[in-house]
Order: sequence, then C-alpha cells, then structure tokens
Amino acid sequence: MAINPASPTPSMFRKKPSSAMSTAASYLSAVSKADARARGLNGGSTTSTPALSLSSSVTSSSEDTVLHEDIGDSADGLYYPSVPPTSEQVFTTVHTEFGHCANESYRYTSRHTPGEPVKGVVEQDPPYYILITTYVSYLLVICIGHLRDFIGKRFKPSAFRHLMTQDGYAALNSDFDSFYTRRLKSRIDDCFSHPVTGVPGRTILLLDRYSTDHNVTFQPTGTRTRGLNISSYNYLGFAQGDGPCADAVEESVARYGVSACSTRREVGTLDLHLQAEALVARFMGMESALISSMGFATNSTIIPALVSKGCLVISDEFNHASIRYGALESLLREVISQGQPKTHRPWKKILIIVEGLYSMEGTLVNLPALLELKKKYKFYLFVDEAHSVGAMGPHGRGVADYFDVNPRSIDILMGTFTKSFGAAGGYIAGNKALIERLRISSHYSAYTEAMAPPVLTQVMASMASIMGVTIIPETKNSSSLSLLHSSNAIPVPVTNLEATAYPGTAPSTALPNWVSLPPSLCDGSDGRMRLRRLAFNSRYLNRALRKLGFITYGHDDSPVVPLLVFHPGKMAVFSRMMRTRAIPIVIVVVAYPATPLVTSRVRFCLSASHTKEDIDLVLKACDEIGELLDLKQAVGERWPLEEITKRAVELVSMKECP
Amino acid sequence: MSATTSSLEPLFTILSYSYATLETNFYKLPGSSVVARYVKSSHQNDPGRTLLEVFLIIFAIRTLLQSRTRADNSGKHFISFDEKEIDELVDEWTPEPLAAELSPKEQAELASIPVIVGPTGPKPKLSNGKTVLNLASYNFTGLAGNEDIKQSGVETLRKYGLGSCGPPGFYGNQDVHIQLEKDIADFLGTESAILYSQAFSTISSVIPAFCKRGDLIVADRGVNFSIQKGLQISRCTVRWYDHNDLNSLEQVLEAIEKERQKKRSPLTRRFIVTEGIFDHDGAMSDLPKLLKFKYRLILDESISFGSVGRTGRGLTELYNVPADQVDMLVGSVANGLASAGGFCAGTNIVVNHQRINGTSFVFSAAMPALLTVAASEGISILRNTPSILSTLQENIRAVRVILDRVDCISIPSHPASATIHLHVKLPSPMHLSPRVPPPSPSLSSSSSGKPSNPLSPTPREAPQFDAELEEKLLQDVVEEALAQGVLITRAKRLRGQELNDIRPSIRLAISAALNKKDCEKAANVVKAAFVKIVGRQRR
Repeated sequence: MAINPASPTPSMFRKKPSSAMSTAASYLSAVSKADARARGLNGGSTTSTPALSLSSSVTSSSEDTVLHEDIGDSADGLYYPSVPPTSEQVFTTVHTEFGHCANESYRYTSRHTPGEPVKGVVEQDPPYYILITTYVSYLLVICIGHLRDFIGKRFKPSAFRHLMTQDGYAALNSDFDSFYTRRLKSRIDDCFSHPVTGVPGRTILLLDRYSTDHNVTFQPTGTRTRGLNISSYNYLGFAQGDGPCADAVEESVARYGVSACSTRREVGTLDLHLQAEALVARFMGMESALISSMGFATNSTIIPALVSKGCLVISDEFNHASIRYGALESLLREVISQGQPKTHRPWKKILIIVEGLYSMEGTLVNLPALLELKKKYKFYLFVDEAHSVGAMGPHGRGVADYFDVNPRSIDILMGTFTKSFGAAGGYIAGNKALIERLRISSHYSAYTEAMAPPVLTQVMASMASIMGVTIIPETKNSSSLSLLHSSNAIPVPVTNLEATAYPGTAPSTALPNWVSLPPSLCDGSDGRMRLRRLAFNSRYLNRALRKLGFITYGHDDSPVVPLLVFHPGKMAVFSRMMRTRAIPIVIVVVAYPATPLVTSRVRFCLSASHTKEDIDLVLKACDEIGELLDLKQAVGERWPLEEITKRAVELVSMKECP
Repeated sequence: MSATTSSLEPLFTILSYSYATLETNFYKLPGSSVVARYVKSSHQNDPGRTLLEVFLIIFAIRTLLQSRTRADNSGKHFISFDEKEIDELVDEWTPEPLAAELSPKEQAELASIPVIVGPTGPKPKLSNGKTVLNLASYNFTGLAGNEDIKQSGVETLRKYGLGSCGPPGFYGNQDVHIQLEKDIADFLGTESAILYSQAFSTISSVIPAFCKRGDLIVADRGVNFSIQKGLQISRCTVRWYDHNDLNSLEQVLEAIEKERQKKRSPLTRRFIVTEGIFDHDGAMSDLPKLLKFKYRLILDESISFGSVGRTGRGLTELYNVPADQVDMLVGSVANGLASAGGFCAGTNIVVNHQRINGTSFVFSAAMPALLTVAASEGISILRNTPSILSTLQENIRAVRVILDRVDCISIPSHPASATIHLHVKLPSPMHLSPRVPPPSPSLSSSSSGKPSNPLSPTPREAPQFDAELEEKLLQDVVEEALAQGVLITRAKRLRGQELNDIRPSIRLAISAALNKKDCEKAANVVKAAFVKIVGRQRR
C-alpha cells in the first residue's frame, strides 16, 4: 500500500482538498447540477435503473448529496450541524453520513473493569395491567382476524383463492400458517420493509409510500424523507459513500471488477482473499481465518464440518444472555458423567455456542465465567460475534477485547462484516488446523460463491482503519506475491514488534499495494475516534433511557438498545410517531416471533456517526412519545430530560448507574 | 365422648366461620355464581366428571411447573453418581480434537487450489506469474470485468456506500434491490422476483419456505447439494426419480397417486424439484414435459440462467415456455450475471410469501448496492446484445467438437450446456471389481426393467466407479492443462456429505469472452492432457 503525503489539511479525501464550499462558483455549479437532476427526476425517468440516473458523475461530492434534495429547514441539524463548526475545526465527512462532533468530552472507552464481577442485567417486569392488556390486545386482533376470515371467505372468495384448493393444486400456504402474517403483521406492515435509498449512515433517505388496501400493497409517492437513522447496523459508521474506504473500494472495482466468478475451492480464490483472510486473523488475534460471502450462512455451512454423530452441541436456550452459569455447569456435569443417551459412551466432543452480544437483548456473554468452566470441563467454545466485533472493546476486537482475555482461549470466533465494517459476509477465525479443515470440508468452500472483491476491499480498508497501520518498507520478498505461496500462515516479516502484538496495528505489507490511506487513518486516530464515539453514544442512550424511566434490556456498553413497549399496537404507534416527527427518526421495531409474545420492543442501533445532539434528539422524542404511550414503567431514580442532556458526560462516566 | 366434642367445638366454629367467609368472598367475585352453578350441576349429572376434572387440573399444574428443558433424570438409563465420582469422570474425559488434522491427500488438495492475482476473466494471471486461458470460472456471458458495469458500480458506491447495513425488513431494502427484482421479473416474464444475497442459500431457503412436514416433494436423484439441504430442512416427504428420466418420474407419480387413492388421504401440497441444467453433470431437463403434471415445479436454473436461450433467459427461453408456468424459478445472479446472490421468480403470492418465510432472505443483510446494480446492468447488456449468447453457443460447439470424440473422455452434459463435465473413460473396468459393467456414459439409460425404489435417493443400479482413482487422474489432467496454460478445475464436492456418490468430473465453464480460436486451443490442450494422463493409465 501507499501512504498519501501529508496534505495541508488532514483531509480524508484524495480528490477534493476540502469539503467546505470554497468558492461561489463551485456552489453555483453544485446548485445547477442538483437542479438538472431534479428536473431529470420529475421528467419521469423511463430508464431501467432510475437509481443510477441520479448520479451521472463519478465525482459526486458531499455538496451534491446534500443539494439534490429539497432542504426544508437547515436549522434542524439533520443536514448541517446545529452548531456551526469553528474555523479550526476541519471536518472531512459528510454530516448526513457521519456526524460532525469535535467535542472530545463526548468520548468513552468500551472496556470491562478488570477484576470486577460481570453482573447480570436485571430485567424489570412491567406492571401487571400492562401484561394483561397486552394479552387482551393479542386476543382481540386474533378474534377479529378470524371473524374477517370467516366473513371474507364467504363474501369475497377471490381474495382467499391462494388459501384454498384449486385446479387440482393444494393451497400454497395454509390459512392457519399464514394467519399471523395476514391478520396481525399486515396491520402494522408500514413499519417494516420500508424502501430506502442512499447511504445508510447517520441519516437515511426513506422513499415515501402509502397504501390504499390496508397494507397489502404499497404505492410510492415519489417523494423522499430524510430521517435520523437509529436502525442500521452501522456501529462504527463505515457506511459511507465518501472517504478513504470508499476510495479504496473504487480502486478495487477498477482493478478487479465486481465478482470472483467461482467457489473458493475451484478457481474463485483471488490474491485479495488471502490478504483479507490474513488481515482478519491478525485483527482477531487468531492463527488463521476464512471469509465467507454471506454472514447468515456462515454458521450453517461450517458447523456440519466440525461435529458429527456422537458430538454434543449446547446452545444457549433462548440465545439469551442470561445463561445461568450454575445451570450450565450442572448440565455439563450431567452430560459428561452420563455420556450419550442409551449407549453411555462418552461424547466425542462438546461444543458450546454462545453469542458475544445478543442482538435482541443487548446483553453480553459472561466470557470470563465461561472460560473458567471451559478449563474444567474441556468443551469447545464457539462465540458468534455478529454484533460485537468492532463494536465492543477498547480496540474494537469484540468481547474478548472487552473483557481483556486472550482471544486464543476461545476455539472458534465467528462474526460478520455487515455490522461494524460496512461490508457484507462473515468470517471464522481459529487455529490453523481448524481453518484448514473448514477450507476442505465445509459447504461454504466447495459450493458457495467466493466473496466479491469490492467487499473484500471494504473489509480490509475499514479493518486497517480500526487497527492503524505500521509502515513497513516494502522489500522484494514481502511483496503481496509472497503471501500467496504460503497460503494460510500470516507471512508478515517480524520487523516491528508493535505490529505483531495483539491488539496491534496492521503492517502496511498486509494491505494491497494500491490501497492508499491518508495519515489520519494510518495512525489509528480515525479508528480510535470511531470506537470512542460509539462507546459514548451507547452508554449515553442506555443510561439516559433508564433515567427517563423506560424499561430497557441490555448491557450499558451495548450499541444495541432494546426499549420495551410490550403492546404490539404501541410498537406500531411508536414507530409511526418517530417517523413522522418534524425531524424524522428511523427506528426498528421487533415483535413476536423474534421476541417472546409480550415483550415487543423498539431496537435502537447506535453508531459512531451519531453526535451527542442526535442522541438528545432521540431522547426528546422518546420522552414525549413515552409519556403519551405510558411507557415509563421502570422503578428507580429518574432525571428530567434537561438534566440528562446537561449532565450527559457525567452520566456516561458514572461507574454505576442505579 | 362429649368431652371430646366440646374440646373440638372451637375448632369447628373456626372452620365453619372460615368456610362462610370464603363462600361470601367467592360469591363477591364477578361471575363466580356461574362457576358455582356449573360445578354443582355437572357434579349432579356426573360425579365422576368432577373427579376427572380435578385430576386434569392437578396434571396441568404439574406439567406447567415441570422444567421443560432438562432431560428426565429419573429415566431408566440414568445412572446416579455422587459429586466425587462426577468430578473424576470429568477429569478423565478427554474430547477429540475440534478439527481432525488434514490427511496428506487433503493437504495436497488445499495446496493445489490456484490463486488468481488481479481480476478474474477470460485470461487471468495466476500466482506463478503465468497468464492462462480460463475454462473454469462461471463467466458464461463474459460480464466479469465489463467496463460499463464497473462504471455503474463505482457510481453506486458513491451514492450508497458499500454495505446495506441491515436485513431487508429493517431498512436494508434499497431502491436498487427493488429495481433488480423488477428487472429480473421483467427479463424472465414473471410477475415478481425476490433477491437473496447468496446463490447457494437461495434454493435451500425457498424449498422450506413452501414445503412443510406432510407435504410431498418428488425430486431428481441428481439434484445439487443446495437442493439436498433444502429438502433436508423442509422435513417433508421426499420421493426420488431417476436422474433426468421422465419415464421414471411418471412411474413415481403414478405410484403416489395410487397410494393416495388407496389411503384416501387429502390433497397435500406437491412439488417437483429439479434443475434446469444439472450442476452435477450438465444434463438438461425436458422442461415442457415437466410442466404437464399437477405438481408445482421448483426449478433451479443456477447454471442455465444466463447461459442458454437466445438472450440468456434460461431454459424457459430455450424451450419457448412462458416463465410464469414455472411456479418457483430459482436462479443464480452470481453465475448468470457475474455478480453475487440468487433470486426466485414467480407470482406475487409466491414472492411475497418468501419475504416473510424465506429464512435467508429475512435474516441476512441485503446484498451490497454495488453488486445489485452490477446485476441490473448485466441484464440490460444481455437484453441488448443477443450476440453474446450466440458467441457462447459457438464456443461451446467448438469445444464439444474437439472433446466429443476423444476415446478416454465421456461427456454426460447436454450439447448446449455451458458447463461441460468430463468423465474419465477407461477402456476396461479391470481396475474395478470384474462383475460390474463398464460405466455407461449416460446415467439415465438403465437397461433393466426394474424401477428404483422411490423412497431411496440411491438408484437401483448405481453407476460403479473408482472415485479415488478417477479423482487422482482428473487432478493430474488439471495440472497438466495448467502447465500448458489452460485453467480448468475438477468439480469440487464434499464426498460423503452428498446424497449419492457423484462421479468425479472436470467441469469446464465456457465463456463468451473467449474467441473461438482460444476455445479451440484450450480444448486441444485439455484433450492432449487427457490423452497423456489417461492414456498412460491404460498401459
């Protein structure tokens, strides 16, 4: 890789010297461009890809992204920071993608205090009247649904055709199986699968839609709404259309195209795959790693290669953080002493699968306790870090980093690149023997498409940005080609001790030589800023919501914050009210079957790209809506909203938050 | 006697008083009189019933209180140990290693995987510095490395960033995804289509979305691994017919119909699952004949979409069958359009059902916008340049002309298939057990009259071959060809995990990006390699 010469301003852009509109001329040209685009839009684009016709030029700059929409009130803080930057502050990101925040006190480090016990999170129960009315409301919609089915089947059979036997074919889906979807979910379908466009960064552009047939179909209105995005998995804010990562990806598209066109075991292995895998292994602190093209399928395609008949897999019952360690221990004692059912032969091996950060609960695995048990009971530990990698720990390396334990004491680390790295796909990291076994025996390597080169580049660039880069002068034998002969080892010359230690920086030789990164990224300051901003945001929102009196689940440092609303009806209203505020806020609501029946919830996903003002905005909205919907049911000390926003830093740095 | 009575008097008073209070309180509850009346009358009519109901209530409470998760410790197989014994057993227990060490053969296999430096395409550069002719990558239409696609990819990147950062249900559903779904549906001529973010996970998610326990699937014995996984997950009843043999299919369907009439079982959902062009051997299904049964058809066009038909629409275009007659048409965007992901096209009802029930659609993040737009762009290129497909077919013919008549190669693939599987043909099966006949070139031409058992995935007359030996020979051929500058690959499969043993093959994937001369040159190299390696074996 090459390092950019230090530019006069510490700019992240290679193409543009500064993001501010430097001259009137550039402003005018931007306006006229935006104008032309708007006209092109209104003129009814008939091309097959209208999305593309919007961006005619490759050098779409930040000004364009902002200007091609109709900005209503620029004082709302969505497009431009509510506090204008001072002359010393230079921001290189687009505010709508990655918020501008120069206040160094809005930072925190995500870390478990060493020596302290990992305390379970107390989950508060709501008052009984809430539970009862929740059940009653489910009962009500179920009754009404059946009534509508009963009447509908008699008076409007055409609408039920697909549920009935016809023309010699049995019904495609039975009306019982689809009842929940047809009669319950469809009532609130406007809260799901909302089409969006643009970068899913700090803000997101919703494509407005309406329904005239009770959410069976939706028609686009053609307008768009920009909302504050608290819904995307964008923990470190790498969802950016601009910046060094995007520049690297652009370069890789030019060099590699978009596909590897085969499976990894056939001819789909590119040099990029090997480089990315070596970097991932180094990032995780493991011997070796492999990358799969779909995060969701990673587990299902590799676990069959590891376990066979006579092996026991223990998975967390609800995939819920409150693994009761006492219960786990007695279970282990039982299965080891009893052996396999009937035959009583000893189990060949025991694999325990846990999640690092539970995505629906926001709770953390109690890794230290689990590792204690592991020493005694010799099981193998598989940690699914889909949500925690990048998002937890002072160096962003996930739960092992957070608890400051050696990652190699965990046997298998799995995670995805979708969430923290702004990419796609997943990885498995472990020792060399394990990874080689998976390369040979897993479904993934023999049958699935290899990961696309642009995605690999995004992974490498964002990972290098988190790690920081140590520049190692390129020698003949450390060029990228030398990587290829020793296929799996980490062939990094040990010239710099710091570069080899975990959690250390990435050596520049581990990146392709055409990736050029700006200094702010190489010294790790960019990555640190992201990690520390995410940690602040997570802790602030978690604690502030509790201080407002909401029932939330999860760990204080978790970037996933579930806020319990219990009622399915309230959940939909909450989502709609957030979306239709003066400054729209985009959130995710989750209900049964993803959660237990009574604990419908709102799930906030925080990001490093949010500013403190954004969180204040969310709190204000929650405060108002929560008051209206009677959601503030938690017991404990409450603070008024003004006090929370004023004492935010204090709130975050408090050791305990009662 | 009376003394006892008098001493018990206070107790009786308390009892009767508390009973009276209980009764009044009970009747204060709303609706309690109804309950009381019900209990009274039912007891009057049938005293046994009261007993039964009390017993039922006790049973229900016991069931509710019982822990649901623990295995029953009181079972007859449970051996009780004291804590010290358990500790000893725990100390003694040594698990097997998590991953078995690779055997030397597997290590060699791992080392033999070629690494492409730089972009893949018709003439990629390998890590040994050599530029080779590529007859192995799925790049049928030559879209890999297309400059227009790259250009629109970069534009999309600047507008959307790379990742979609969420599953489609939660704001991962971008307008480019909707556009590609629409493009695919328009291209094929179906009502609608749904996009999955990995080709392999598409059909293994589509099948269980529709087929549940109790439903019936009739499947080809030669279906690919992804379909096998889908069938396994769906847990429905599966009947098998001989690979690409429609007579066998009809027999199986007749048997099913007879059985159904005999049992008078109600009509269940019934599906035929097969592939357009088979991943395992390149054979082609006779689509029009598959459509005449009252079974819904799930057709996997992972290989045929983007490689056959006038503009690459796949089997439906080739046979001139409207695509909406196929109920679930599954294809691969990764293979057909040189991007990533897969799709399922069908009616609105079929597609919308998957948006909630297709597990890999619901739980996986949506595809990166850049790859989506690349695929959309690919479709418009295919639409506008039919010459791509005619070039591809010419190239296929050029290769087949050379390879069809080689003594030591047998080709089970259809002449129009862009994937060409090459099996080793040894003149005499002396290396095998002497009683088996030589493996026939076409698996479907079973000569004996007895049909296979539809309950078993293995056919009655499974083709006999020495997989170890053939794999080794083929790998030698691959390496010989590579030394001569032609990149080919064995079709890699997980032996032992597939339902049937599949005959090892070399899979050529022809691309329209190569010109005819290069194809002929490459085919001649492959031919020479076969003659050299397999010929040596013959001697």
